[in-house]
Amino acid sequence: MKKVKIIVVCGSGVAMAMHAAYKLREHLESNKIYNTFIEGTGNNNLAACIDAYDIVVSNAEVTVKTDKPIFSAIPLITGVGEDELIEKIVEKVKEIGSEE
Amino acid sequence: MEDTNNTTQLTISEDLILVNQEISSKEDIIRKLGGLLFEHGFVKDTYIQAVLDREIVYPTGLSARVTGVAVPHTDTEHVNNSAVAVATLKDPIIFNGMGAPKTEVNVYVVMMLAIHDKTQVINILRKVILIIEKDEVLQKIWDAKDASTIKQVMEEHIQSVSIK
Repeated sequence: MKKVKIIVVCGSGVAMAMHAAYKLREHLESNKIYNTFIEGTGNNNLAACIDAYDIVVSNAEVTVKTDKPIFSAIPLITGVGEDELIEKIVEKVKEIGSEE
Repeated sequence: MEDTNNTTQLTISEDLILVNQEISSKEDIIRKLGGLLFEHGFVKDTYIQAVLDREIVYPTGLSARVTGVAVPHTDTEHVNNSAVAVATLKDPIIFNGMGAPKTEVNVYVVMMLAIHDKTQVINILRKVILIIEKDEVLQKIWDAKDASTIKQVMEEHIQSVSIK
């Protein structure tokens, strides 16, 4: 299975992206998904690094033009809609992970 | 028990907590909490303006299950020592939504973060952020009648929750 790279983005990368990235990793592991690489960054750094990742999870508005799947990180912070978000990300990770 | 707990390098203090405030705008509460942080030496004189500026570009309103919460903050260069300042509001004020600047959130609880070194405080900082989704903890903070109760609720939560 291919390694799926996820970048978690927040306004400045000070607090929220790191928290959301930790939570996402815990959720994916409890869904028995171990083939991911998750990092956090600030929005102003996204344009420079987005090419290296497969999935964007952001709690800032993503203004970079990209075809990559983008998910909101907000449910990871508020807990509202979190299960649904995790379900969608798990599905996407499985899809990308099984690509040749 | 002493008033200031900075053993974990993220200070939570009654000096930085305001209860049931009558405030008319997000700018006012940012200035008020930022003023407390400045008065007690946690942030530099550039902090308040930096938070106000950042709030426009990256708003921090969050619709939690219990109530609206805002977590205004800014870059580490404006901070001397990490702390969190908290306010509960008598009437809600509008913050724009995190990740969705065109949306509005009615905020009753403000947790203003001053982060100096994120790797140093990440564990306790994560526990503070977790309050937003811990309904019973957030409700207790919202309902609290005085600063000492809020401090106590936050400390109990931080001690009881475990994170990886």
